[in-house]
Amino acid sequence: MTSGTGPIPKISLQNITKKFTVRPSKDNPEGAVLTALDGISLDVSAGEFITLVGPSGSGKTTLLDLLAGLTKPDTGQVLVDGREVAGPGRDRAVVFQQYALFPWRTAAANVSFGLEGVGSDGKRYSRRERAGKAREYLELVGLGGFEDRYPHELSGGMKQRVAIARSLAYEPDILLMDEPFAALDAQTREQLQTELLRIWATTGKTIIFITHGIDEAVYLGQRVAVLSSRPGRLKEIVDIDLGDRSGDEDVRSDPAFVEHRHKVWSLLHDEVRRAQEAGHAKIQPDGTAPDETRTIATGKAA
Amino acid sequence: MSTPTLTQETQTQAGPAAAAGEATTERNPALSPGPGKTPAATLRRYALQGGRAVWGAGAIILFLLLWELGPTYLAPASTRVFLPPLHEVLEALGTLIGNGQLQNHLAASLSRSASGFGIAVVTAVALGLLVAWYGALDRFLNPLLEVFRNTAALALLPVFTLLLGIGETSKISIVAYAAFFPVLLNTIAGVRTVDPLLIRAARSLGLSNFQLFQKVILPSAVPTIFTGIRMAGTSSILVLIAAEMVGAKAGLGYLIVNSQMSFLIPDMYAGILTVSLLGLLVNYLLVGVERHFSRWRTAVGSRTA
Repeated sequence: MTSGTGPIPKISLQNITKKFTVRPSKDNPEGAVLTALDGISLDVSAGEFITLVGPSGSGKTTLLDLLAGLTKPDTGQVLVDGREVAGPGRDRAVVFQQYALFPWRTAAANVSFGLEGVGSDGKRYSRRERAGKAREYLELVGLGGFEDRYPHELSGGMKQRVAIARSLAYEPDILLMDEPFAALDAQTREQLQTELLRIWATTGKTIIFITHGIDEAVYLGQRVAVLSSRPGRLKEIVDIDLGDRSGDEDVRSDPAFVEHRHKVWSLLHDEVRRAQEAGHAKIQPDGTAPDETRTIATGKAA
Repeated sequence: MSTPTLTQETQTQAGPAAAAGEATTERNPALSPGPGKTPAATLRRYALQGGRAVWGAGAIILFLLLWELGPTYLAPASTRVFLPPLHEVLEALGTLIGNGQLQNHLAASLSRSASGFGIAVVTAVALGLLVAWYGALDRFLNPLLEVFRNTAALALLPVFTLLLGIGETSKISIVAYAAFFPVLLNTIAGVRTVDPLLIRAARSLGLSNFQLFQKVILPSAVPTIFTGIRMAGTSSILVLIAAEMVGAKAGLGYLIVNSQMSFLIPDMYAGILTVSLLGLLVNYLLVGVERHFSRWRTAVGSRTA
């Protein structure tokens, strides 16, 4: 399976296929099988920042769930550090689009959530150590002094910062981000993108970042993986070389950026159109897609 | 006193809508505690607050006045016997407190409703968590629970009395029965409505089922559970009084009925007054507890922002 030469990739997807059974409904009494991902193979090396773009319903979130260990592939293997992913683990952290903060916990208590109990290495943090870690990571995401705020007292951007701090606090190697900035306004989004690059540079995490935005994908990723419309296949991987992105200059108007952006755009364009024509919509966590039953129903009527 | 308050209120409400500069400038210094506060504005603010307080308590005061004066001046003498004026009732209440009778009845009622209520809360929360967690159990039990829930607790009072006698057991049981369902249903609802995203987030951290329950589901359901507990508190007192009226040797319900039969009408009203005060107090306390546990919930409605 593995060639044996060279270092083991941090993450290795090997010929992943994931299907969902659509529950029988009134329109569609037999039920159906929805292929979300079809034969995905991808290696990600340690410390890499890879972005994933694809049209709606191309299985981006499904892929992330597989990496997080929330679901299992039907065929193929998901390997992290050469070992098959058996379930969720603290070596991987997920950042969700809708923040997923615990509203009854303060910012600090949210950040230290993953530090409670016995860690995977058998280590147990004291209350004081947890508070210290929470402060440290809130500081890292630029929210020092907001420890005692409840989520409902924070803006969207601040909530997502807390969520990122929570994911970083238990020191995972891999950060899995599912359209984390999609719900934010343009200005906050840009600000957080810059921050994320800084955090990535200081912590050296391996980041897999799902997005709808081509600009975002090109700006953040060292590589951009383009998924096809459903069933999700890996269409192409675009290497992005923008030189040093930590500077102050406007990278987005750089000719190299524009060129990369155009390349990803053309790759994605056909897929988006195809997905739109098929009327694909987001696959729900329970494996149903709202459009799937509709297409079948209209197919029957025709 | 209350009429000017009303017009003032409508004025301030109409102010910004009509873009009347006068009303707005008048309002601002009164609201902000800045240095630009004039004595006149302060006075007006106090008048406004005082007027509001009087208006808020107005209905109660009117009612008490009617109670005091009505029987003496409006009602025929025969009615006056059955509806003594307020001061006689308060006198009777004083006497009952003085000779310790009221305390005895209150203690009897309180210990019954507290035990019944306590039993109900513990069992209903436990069962509610189980039912909400195991879908199969829910599908199995739900029809039966629906039947029991829609059977008025007092309709079952004869059954409880027949099976458990007229002692403490039957009264505590009926209170527990009445308090059980609001807590149970709210517990189930609370667990059901936990944001699935939070469960996903917790799962991605590798939490076990037990930890998920303890750290995500339970805290998230607590406010809803407490709403049920508050409703149960009210209904447990309600049912207890009725049960005590049917067969008891002590308790507020017994006090009321026994006074009526012994023709101690002011005592009867004293008992009724105590019941309503007790109800108010219990509700107030439980609302306080509920609010304490739901502090984080204040902005759930605007969570999408």
